Amino acid sequence: MALTLTCPVCGKRNGYEFRYGGEDKGPRPAEEGMTPSAWCDYVHMNKCTAGVQKEWWFHRDGCGAWFTTYRDTVANLEVDAPEVTE
Amino acid sequence: MNRLNQLPTLRIDPAEKRTLSYRGKSLPGVAGDTVATALFANGVRIFARSLKYHRPRGLYSLDGECANTMMDVDSIPNVRTENTLLKNGMVVKEQNVKGSAEFDWMGFIDKFDWMMPAGFYYHTMHKPAAVWPHAMKQIRKAAGLGEISPDYVMRGRFDELFLKADVTVVGGGAAGMRAALAAAEGGLRVVLLEARPHLGGCFDYRVSDNGDGTPLYQRARELAEQVAATTNIRVFTHAPLVGTYSNNLITAHQVGSDSDSFTERYIEIRSESIVVATGCIERPLLFDNNERPGVMQVGCAHRLARTYGILPGKQAVFAVGHDLGLEAAIDLFDLGLKIGCVADIREDGQNPDLLMALADRAIPVLKGWVAAKAHGKTVTKVTLTTVEGTVKRDFDCDLLVASAGLTPVTGPFIMAQAKMGYDNHTGYFLPTELPERMFPAGRLTGVGDPRAIEASGRLAGLQAAAACGVSLNGELDAAKAATAALPGPERGCKLVTAPVKGRKSFICFDEDATIKSVKQAIDKGFDVPELVKRFAGVGLGPGQGGIPGHNLPLFVAKYTASSATPKPTTLRPPLVPTFIATYAGAHHHMFKRTPLHKSQKAAGGVFRNIGVWKRARYFSDDFDCREEILNVRGNVGMLDGSTLGKFRIHGPDALKALQRVYVSDMSKVKEGRIKYSAMCNDDGCVIDDGVVVKRGENDYYFTTSTGRAGATVEWIRYHTRFDGWDFHLVNLTDAMGVINLSGPNARKVLAKVTDADLSSEAFPFSGYREITVGGSIPARAMRLGFVGELSYELHVAASYMQAVWDLLEEAGAEFGIRNFGVEAQNVLRMEKCHIILGQESEQRTNLLDVGLGFLWDRTKSACKTVGAVALRQAEKDPNRFKLVGIRMEDDDRPARDGALIVDTKVRGYVATMRKSFTTGEAVGMALVEKPLSDIGTRLEIFEDECNGVRLYARVVKMPFYDPNGERMKA
Repeated sequence: MALTLTCPVCGKRNGYEFRYGGEDKGPRPAEEGMTPSAWCDYVHMNKCTAGVQKEWWFHRDGCGAWFTTYRDTVANLEVDAPEVTE
Repeated sequence: MNRLNQLPTLRIDPAEKRTLSYRGKSLPGVAGDTVATALFANGVRIFARSLKYHRPRGLYSLDGECANTMMDVDSIPNVRTENTLLKNGMVVKEQNVKGSAEFDWMGFIDKFDWMMPAGFYYHTMHKPAAVWPHAMKQIRKAAGLGEISPDYVMRGRFDELFLKADVTVVGGGAAGMRAALAAAEGGLRVVLLEARPHLGGCFDYRVSDNGDGTPLYQRARELAEQVAATTNIRVFTHAPLVGTYSNNLITAHQVGSDSDSFTERYIEIRSESIVVATGCIERPLLFDNNERPGVMQVGCAHRLARTYGILPGKQAVFAVGHDLGLEAAIDLFDLGLKIGCVADIREDGQNPDLLMALADRAIPVLKGWVAAKAHGKTVTKVTLTTVEGTVKRDFDCDLLVASAGLTPVTGPFIMAQAKMGYDNHTGYFLPTELPERMFPAGRLTGVGDPRAIEASGRLAGLQAAAACGVSLNGELDAAKAATAALPGPERGCKLVTAPVKGRKSFICFDEDATIKSVKQAIDKGFDVPELVKRFAGVGLGPGQGGIPGHNLPLFVAKYTASSATPKPTTLRPPLVPTFIATYAGAHHHMFKRTPLHKSQKAAGGVFRNIGVWKRARYFSDDFDCREEILNVRGNVGMLDGSTLGKFRIHGPDALKALQRVYVSDMSKVKEGRIKYSAMCNDDGCVIDDGVVVKRGENDYYFTTSTGRAGATVEWIRYHTRFDGWDFHLVNLTDAMGVINLSGPNARKVLAKVTDADLSSEAFPFSGYREITVGGSIPARAMRLGFVGELSYELHVAASYMQAVWDLLEEAGAEFGIRNFGVEAQNVLRMEKCHIILGQESEQRTNLLDVGLGFLWDRTKSACKTVGAVALRQAEKDPNRFKLVGIRMEDDDRPARDGALIVDTKVRGYVATMRKSFTTGEAVGMALVEKPLSDIGTRLEIFEDECNGVRLYARVVKMPFYDPNGERMKA
């Protein structure tokens, strides 16, 4: 309830306005050669990170954009993108 | 009772009379009274009986920390009467009593407390298990709070406010007001919340001096005037804080006064920074019978006199542990209260001026003494003892003012996840590390000197402003220096309990938990406050932690002789009870109307909620819709189909997007033709069906089912979010209306209002034409056959809908055209076995189950169509459901929608079934397991409340009407 999110179009807005779209799992895999279990993993399996994860959000009560952002799932707060560590 | 009508501190208006009804009598009160003070002024001392032991309870704190004064007000149970302002004509009743609060037949239970040790319910009455249901009934009769009538209807106006502020100040006492003023100096938007109906806090009722000769109440009023004059401070009084959350979100509710437009409203504030100046409540003194009517806290006694003009008793004894108690004794003495003795728990450390003033008034002061026991149903006598319990003395009195010390109201910090630690100097649990952009101010930090309270408020206000990015140029340092120069936190009284065994010393009033029951819980091994709390029920009642808040962890630490620092129990929102009606707000029923709503209503439409819409389901009292149905089959009817989802998708990549979400090959959509297709989710389950037409290069118009209209844009964008395609989606659902003109005479009717060639050659079944109606109105016409007759679906701009409808109605008059509603359509399409998703399908039903597999194009795997991978898998699964046509063995007894198909297990269910007026048969569709789907299979049907009598049906061929579709293609 206390979550705020930063929409790339509308800026920082109340979390009520958005719909969660799941963890970022990358683009849809190709259909050719897809096994049922690989497909199931892509669609249903999640990492459920306790910490910062990249995820999709939809600005439902706003501009209607899908975008990714980073959220600390423990504190339920939007955070800056973590620095890439090799 | 005569009120002290002339005090300058009063918050009542003695001239403005109010009345309330209590026990069949009309009692007087005045404007500004709470329900509890009005009752008190009328001599009521016992307000309620306690939850478990039915002990008499009275006015104790005046701030609603316990259930003592909870009553039934205007049929609402558990109203905290000490927080509820009196309104004219209120009907007040006692609750949880047999008889009256004064003479409660259940009062004898108090004598049997020895039979009910801590955890009594948990370890009795569970063996044998059969005992429990009976025991539970008896306990529920004997124990509990108020009861609400099942027919009770909540009245009032409830509202919501969602605010954004730079600084929110919680608490409208001197510190809070100074913080708000300081934060507002730089032009920031400031919100000030105060739980009481007026600003002022602990200054509001005190006549002592703030150091420069101004009485505190006057100083508070000056500050309140300054706050009112500052336009960028928005004040909410009678608005207690309910919760604090991350991102500095605050929720509160505000109780409306007579002149407000709301009864209660929900307030949610997002602020950059927060000042918490919630002050202190008093720490209850633990001694025997410490909750008897006649025992009250210092602030309660003091405010009764100063704020409400009621002298709290005639002959008083004080047993206190802080200077506010001494101050109150002096002031109340001056107002006419006789004081037998002031027992101060502290051996030393009192303000010498106060001691001098007590001596001047010849009030005996016993230092290092404490109350040990109160006597009488309402207090008649008190036993005082030395803190060690060595010497005892009795005093007659009708009022015992008792308070061990102060307890800071730190709920806002705890709910913001601050770690709390025990502060040895003040004896408070205070945040060891402050949450980000949250600043404490005022008495909760331990300061008691009025100037120090104000200075700490100003400092916190400036800190909050600085956190918002206001540059303060040294003002902050000056405020810090000013605060440092004034007296700091005061040493708190460390006494935990009077020297008593504690069988009748109540640590939690609401749950009737005593020192003895806490000891029992600890002895059973529940040695952590959070565990004791749950096992002995300390602080689980309506007042939550208000009474036992600090006493419980301190007592546990003392009794377990633990060397570890005491840990407080936690708090969670809501901090104060809030009506569910307040959360529900004002708009309970929101819906959309179609452009034809008015004329559908005038035509006798019976409306039902369908998704977000109001739709005309029937057009007569005959809910079987016989006339409506037969008129479509034999003549011509019109349906308002405006709720259909309607979309435009255009742009270079529009086709790619359609290919992604629709299972068919959308590249085969031809101009002038409609294409029926369906959307699946990633599990292959069918979620939507509709038609697509191509209106131009890269420009498509498509429909969705009514229920999916809201989610369609989101859905298509979600499944194309990685692709970066260039297309635009426009939701035209509300911009366009739809009229369905169906029946053998449909062509003749339409021909009268358009010049377009409607012959089957020029406009065949499955065709799409853009025609002009009534000479100038553009309409998108589709030849569809949902109801199984010749039919035209006209998509018209919403603003033209009524005009087109009227034209068709006029044109059809000679044929006897009439409305048909959603129910008639449902039966008509069922006879044709055309499915409605959500009716012939549910969450788990895939495209193949409902027989729509023919829509799926397997050759377009490059499009990565949503659902295709899962469908390939599902194809091989022999254990899926299948949609079949069924006919009852008894045509006069159709099964109800949703009835189960069973043998020894559930094998499926009836999706839709009606008696068909067209064929005279009871037919419908059902989802059954594949082995039951062969034509001729006998199905056993179980209906709710069938009393063991099963119905029988057989699987038959679909559809039931016009199997070759000659009529709709006519």
